[in-house]
Amino acid sequence: MSGQTYLTVAYLGMIGALALWTWTVFARSRTLEAKIESLEKALSKNESE
Amino acid sequence: MNIKGEAVAIVGLTGAAITLWLGMMWAPSVSIAAFKAPEAQRIFYWHVPSAWAAMIAFGMLFVGSIMWFFKRSEWAWRLHVASSEAGLATGLMCVWSGCIWGAAEWGVPWDWTDIRLNTFAMLTLLSLYLVLGRRSQPDGVETRDTFAAFGMYGFVLVPVTYIATRLWQIRHPGPVVATSEGSLNSDMSIVLFIGAISFTVLIIGYVMAGMRLTELEMRLEDLQNQYEERVQ
Repeated sequence: MSGQTYLTVAYLGMIGALALWTWTVFARSRTLEAKIESLEKALSKNESE
Repeated sequence: MNIKGEAVAIVGLTGAAITLWLGMMWAPSVSIAAFKAPEAQRIFYWHVPSAWAAMIAFGMLFVGSIMWFFKRSEWAWRLHVASSEAGLATGLMCVWSGCIWGAAEWGVPWDWTDIRLNTFAMLTLLSLYLVLGRRSQPDGVETRDTFAAFGMYGFVLVPVTYIATRLWQIRHPGPVVATSEGSLNSDMSIVLFIGAISFTVLIIGYVMAGMRLTELEMRLEDLQNQYEERVQ
């Protein structure tokens, strides 16, 4: 593998991994917000009954 | 929805991508005589800023850990959690890029006799232990104390890593910025500077988003407890 190709593959792997990590942080945040919202709704419904 | 941390992380990630592009397309080539793999040397523009960002994260981990012990504040604990995760991400980037360069330049990805390599790897493993440990253990004061102790005493590896190439240079190259033996070419310095700024912004974004995430986890746990109490 030439030096330039080796570097390109390495670069793509690294930026891809970091982008994946960032997306995971965002996805976890969205999942937690959705769970909190549904629990808050369930609790307020339970309170009104 | 609070997306401040996410927006900052996106800005940092974009900056990191620009750094990669500049490092590959714009930064000058190094002397063929000085390096066995001159093209792979360009990994330096990713490796050094990621190491820098990891050191910032380990510093924040130390602050969060020590403040948890002395103040017992939820904010300090959230800083501990977020910085251990951010330190893991950037630490892995640094180790990975170092292995890629080592494989091309030295012919081996790792040197077990090099102090700098091993102390930095230990710091990254420490953050891995903190991230996995926290996810597998129930939250409580004792658990937090244990992890905070690791975060606090583990910080001793940061100055050791910093001075390692100055005191015991084995294989890892020594400092290249503003040393008595001269400094980097100005174009190289510009790319390195953009990389350092981008990774600093990225680590701040990660820590902000991570602290928000921990806050959400705590809120969810609290709501789940309330819900279970009502159902019973």
